[in-house]
Amino acid sequence: MGFQGLEEVEALKTDTLAQEFDQCIKCGLCVASCPVSKELLLEKYTPRGKIQLARYFTRGDLELSDHYQEIFAKCLLCGACTVTCPSGVDLRKVFLSMRSRITKDRGIHPHMKGVVQSLLSNHNISDEPNEERVEWGEDIPGMAPMARKERAEVVYFVGCVASFFPMVQAIPPNLVKILQAARIDFALLAGDEWCCGYPLIGAGLPGDMEELKAHNLDRVHALGAERVVFSCPSCFHTWKDYYHASLELYHATQFIEALIREGSLTLREVDLTVTYHDPCDLGRNSGVYEAPRQILKAIPGLTLVELENSRAKSVCCGGGGNVEMGDAGLSEKVAQKKIQEIQRTGAHTVVTSCQQCVRTIKGSVRRQKVDLNVMDITELVALALDRA
Amino acid sequence: MISEASTRELRAVVGEDWFLDTPEDLATYSYDGFLPEFKPEAVIIPGSTDEIARIMQIAHRERIPVVPRGAGTNICGSSVARKGGVIMAFHRMNRILEIDPESMCAVVQPGVVNGDLQKEVASYGLMYPPDPASMFVSTIGGNVALNAGGPRGVKYGVTRDYLLGLEVVLPPGGVIRTGGKTLKNVSGYDLTRLMCGSEGTLGIITEITMRLIPLPPAKATLQAIFADLDDAANTVAAIIGSGIVPATLELIDRVVLDVIGDYGGARFQKDAEALLLIEVDGEDVLVERQGERIERFCRERGAVEVERAGSPEEAERLWEARRTAFGAVASLRPNCIVEDATVPVKRLPEIIRKILEVADKYTLKIGVLAHAGDGNLHPLIMTDLRDKEEMARIDLALEEICEAAVGMGGTLSGEHGIGIAKARFMELEFSGTAIELMRGIKRVFDPHNILNPGSFL
Repeated sequence: MGFQGLEEVEALKTDTLAQEFDQCIKCGLCVASCPVSKELLLEKYTPRGKIQLARYFTRGDLELSDHYQEIFAKCLLCGACTVTCPSGVDLRKVFLSMRSRITKDRGIHPHMKGVVQSLLSNHNISDEPNEERVEWGEDIPGMAPMARKERAEVVYFVGCVASFFPMVQAIPPNLVKILQAARIDFALLAGDEWCCGYPLIGAGLPGDMEELKAHNLDRVHALGAERVVFSCPSCFHTWKDYYHASLELYHATQFIEALIREGSLTLREVDLTVTYHDPCDLGRNSGVYEAPRQILKAIPGLTLVELENSRAKSVCCGGGGNVEMGDAGLSEKVAQKKIQEIQRTGAHTVVTSCQQCVRTIKGSVRRQKVDLNVMDITELVALALDRA
Repeated sequence: MISEASTRELRAVVGEDWFLDTPEDLATYSYDGFLPEFKPEAVIIPGSTDEIARIMQIAHRERIPVVPRGAGTNICGSSVARKGGVIMAFHRMNRILEIDPESMCAVVQPGVVNGDLQKEVASYGLMYPPDPASMFVSTIGGNVALNAGGPRGVKYGVTRDYLLGLEVVLPPGGVIRTGGKTLKNVSGYDLTRLMCGSEGTLGIITEITMRLIPLPPAKATLQAIFADLDDAANTVAAIIGSGIVPATLELIDRVVLDVIGDYGGARFQKDAEALLLIEVDGEDVLVERQGERIERFCRERGAVEVERAGSPEEAERLWEARRTAFGAVASLRPNCIVEDATVPVKRLPEIIRKILEVADKYTLKIGVLAHAGDGNLHPLIMTDLRDKEEMARIDLALEEICEAAVGMGGTLSGEHGIGIAKARFMELEFSGTAIELMRGIKRVFDPHNILNPGSFL
């Protein structure tokens, strides 16, 4: 399903794009899977409508326009349509490719200019200087040396969102605590960690991530590390599908699950009923469904109630595809539907494995004043460790 | 061409946001699930019956074609602007107005998605049986206009069988109500049923009252594989003849089974010529006994393998082959034409043999899926529209299949509709007098022929 790599995004010539959607039989089943379609209703915003627009463009029947840009920006890149399509059309690939073409033709989407600018000047998505990446760790004992290591077997690649956004800044300390508890020799890149480049792909500028990619790979190699751990599914997905590195890449859930299996972590009882939200970039877009569930199963006393739509059918939280930058209202509506689905399980806690999902769901929970506890899985594991 | 003055008038009825005429909007309302595309001149999205009545008054006066479109999932080309004009979409009229458990009925707007209604009524312990494959996308308005069916048709019938009443806007702009909430109603002509299946040619359906039934508490799912197609067909006849009415009785032939395997789906044994997927539902004790009897029927009639699901997960797994079938076939060639000829159940083996013969005669690749329990076939013709020579052969093959089905006492279309897909075959099924009668009805409703012009009449 996924990309072979960034070369492919660039190299997607008109005819290969056409080949992809020539398989589309216009049955419309993708429409039911798309959270954006449910909110915006008009056919142009549905996956089938967007495929039609891509087809019109490649056939030369329509020119790219600002309207095109607006339409293709309203996509969470969640990939639900791709797994739903009975004919096997990789819609997500077509949409990414269209974003790239549109950016080339019309320039960067006005709402994405800011993040692209930050990324190219600060090497992160925030306005903060990149040196402040490890601010979250100031109070953690033994933290400073981890950021200054010269050699390490494992690198923890934190990602921009959890580094800079207060609402989810608890994720890295929790993962650090877990890694420390398991006596893992790991390093942080600190100010030398640059954005993985994922937002550039969404902004239609996959070519511009080369420098970031080269830098990050260079830093990891300089430490002699062979394994990289990510708490961010989007960084994980980007490295996995675009970096082509001969490194072992693990999402935190996979790493923690292995530590539990090997007996390196002892978890105590947490008497809680939770539901689990599969993040798009971890589940559908990276194929990791089991590891988080195994972790939840390993916590004594914990009960997992699955959502109506789980695993490959998981519905995006609203935080994907750079949509919140351009249409915060749309992102919020999708989040509200997610919260309703969560509430229907009867669980008062939702666990997920993604800082962006935590941010989006928690943000909406606060705005709507809903009684729901939102947790990253690292927080839950750290809690189970505390009781040990 | 819609004049500027009319455009202004129409825009004023629905408001700026709901009258669309950008090239991007027109491109995305130029298709449905069938092959040919026609670009409309505008898309209009009304919010109420009153707005629709005003739109129709303008369209009637100015002779502007109006084509109602639900979710655009029909596969007969009945919601494309063949003669230009306006596509009318029902995105805003998507509310369930009432669920009445005492009278066992629901009242909905046309834009409600079938699957959403099913889910909602299930929470009352009720069921709305029509389950077209498009149910998670297609709308009730579209389902009524096309008289949609589905796999459950063998036991539960089709949309028509659940329709109690309608509100309809007529082409000149008048509003009528037909039927009501009662199961029994013999007053006057049955205009409700006349509207059902009229494919948007007689009026705009703006409100639907439908009958609901109790949700069956239990279900048994079986899968049987046969090394001989006739054995499978005989088993179908035996089950139906035994007095058991399965909720679903699906058949998949060898061509499709092979494709499913190649697509990465389930692989079936080499000599598998047909697969039957059978489901019975009702009270649990009864369902259990019927499941056992069906299993016996299958084995006695030469099934080489029979599996009975022991859990909902297993049932889901048994459904997988059927659900994968269409996609697997569709992925093989750029286009796939889904036929819909239907015959009386006992002629099933005969029509399947005819299809295989036709495939051979015209060197086409045709797989057969069938709602076997009600004789509704879905031959899947794999093709590439750009191949003119092959398309010509397909045309001949289609005609032969339709002719054979009608000759066996069947029909051109069991559940997909006529639209522009089968308009040319109407004379195979109807006499000139019958067609003229339909045209007369059309004229009474729509004197200026503005509703879905160029469709099947």
